[in-house]
Amino acid sequence: MSLGLLGVLGVVVLLFALAMRVPIALALAGVGFLGYAAADGWATALKMLGSVPFNLSTAYSLSVIPLFILMGAVASRAAMSRELFDAANALFAGFRGALTHATIGACAAFGAICGSSIATAATFSKVSIPEMRRHGYDPGFSAGAVAAAGTLGIIIPPSVILAIYSIVAEQSLPKLFAAALIPGLILAALYVITVWIVARLRPDLMPETESMPLGQRLRAALGMWKLALLFFLAVVGIYLGWYSPTEAAAVSAFAAIVIAFATGHMRWRGLLDAFMETAYATAMLFFIVIGAFIFARFIVLTQFPTALGDWVKDWGLSPVMVILAVMALYFVLGTFLEEVSTILISVPVTLPLVLAVGYDGIWFGIFVTVMATIGLISPPTGMTVFVIQAQNPDIPVARIYRGTLAFLAADFVLVGMLIAWPGIVSWLPAVLKM
Amino acid sequence: MKNPRDFVAKLCGWVSAAFLAAMLLLIVVDVVLRKFGLSPIHGTFELVELLLVCTFFFALPATFLRDENIVVDMIDTWRPRWVPALKRASAAAAVVLLATIAWQSWLQARNAMSFGDVTSDLSLPKILYWAPLVFGIAAGAVAAAAMAVKRGARK
Repeated sequence: MSLGLLGVLGVVVLLFALAMRVPIALALAGVGFLGYAAADGWATALKMLGSVPFNLSTAYSLSVIPLFILMGAVASRAAMSRELFDAANALFAGFRGALTHATIGACAAFGAICGSSIATAATFSKVSIPEMRRHGYDPGFSAGAVAAAGTLGIIIPPSVILAIYSIVAEQSLPKLFAAALIPGLILAALYVITVWIVARLRPDLMPETESMPLGQRLRAALGMWKLALLFFLAVVGIYLGWYSPTEAAAVSAFAAIVIAFATGHMRWRGLLDAFMETAYATAMLFFIVIGAFIFARFIVLTQFPTALGDWVKDWGLSPVMVILAVMALYFVLGTFLEEVSTILISVPVTLPLVLAVGYDGIWFGIFVTVMATIGLISPPTGMTVFVIQAQNPDIPVARIYRGTLAFLAADFVLVGMLIAWPGIVSWLPAVLKM
Repeated sequence: MKNPRDFVAKLCGWVSAAFLAAMLLLIVVDVVLRKFGLSPIHGTFELVELLLVCTFFFALPATFLRDENIVVDMIDTWRPRWVPALKRASAAAAVVLLATIAWQSWLQARNAMSFGDVTSDLSLPKILYWAPLVFGIAAGAVAAAAMAVKRGARK
């Protein structure tokens, strides 16, 4: 059997194993190891199996992941979401759909710090949906808006997903953070425009709310200071040259703890819970990363991505056609995989292919992340939709999916913009001379 | 504590959380010292790497004990009766794979020890990095076996 064919077989077996409920980390590592053994013999495969976990887990760059997760875990426990929602609501009060606008703004800010779409959606499901329903908003649209807005967290830096991509794809994390900021803000703006359009077309879905005096607006807006400070420490500090991404993550996580204690929103028990939650999440994530690296070793050995690139050249496919095909692949993967797994499973195969047709690794990181957000709210297994439904069992899943449709359209508008104008991604890193 | 499995999972979480807290404090202190023009902590990189490996591998068994490995669970809806058997098969596969990784890591750890490998800055013996790795993966295999037995008993 040729190596290329072995690579194809490996991908097929991996998908079968995933369908058979084998844990993702195990499926990646197992298929990678057996495939490597088939390609290069048991002795080298066993040696590779013994060395990959050590090389990965002792990499300093990986320490950024638990520290950013910790910052999110502390922020989630420190009542920052409620204050943020009130502040965003004060800014939009008086507009039709003000509470939905507020949800989008608050999710964008909170998600940036939290770094997890599912945690953001779960948090705002408790904060925003009851408030919107109390004001007569349509439950399906309210839940759909929270599901979509929750996904902003994985694009707007600092983002755990981007940190993982930077390790798998060997790309600069500060550059990825800078590259993601503009697309993240554009997506938030597109969501706001979406709400505005829906409000014009279907005013019955979201009634008008009362306006607010300017003084009250400003007072409520001040509630954003905690997250603004954390964002400054976590992101701006890197570009001011104060510290590396790992140090930024540690300083902002520490600042989150200090703020949570100083404002009386956290006690020792809560802190211990945040640390333990982070430890468990780190182990679960790193195990998948190790599996992905073992699988990647096998894929590289088979030269499957190179063969795929040659095949694309032979067929004379243009770069845009290749990226559209990759987009379709991510759309399908996103329907049954969560975002981390989508990236870890696919990047070893897709990155060499898109690099071969002339795209940039940083641009592709942002593209893949945006595609992952689509997977999070698209049927049949949009993860954030399920999280919200679990917390609001009286809203049927189908109704939440209907509520996300308008936001899915906004996601695809952003994808189109990224393909048509790659400068959206490269502009800020260029300005920052990265 | 409901049962020994929960206790062991919590214990793993506590130990791992302690290493994570140490890593956080080490980096913050290092940054603060540097910002105030004082001499930074020598060998921070190597210490962070050591604490990272401890954070990860001491929590790994808990991933199995808490059944937190991410799976694609579409089959739960289509063929719910297959799920217990598939879970047992996955746990058995995890035992084999983790035991193999632990065995191979142990061989490489033994080599590192016999060659006297040390880190470049602090001259820490490399075996300090290998030990939590081998322990965590072997404990992960035992945890996966415990879950397989638990599922078997439940069935």
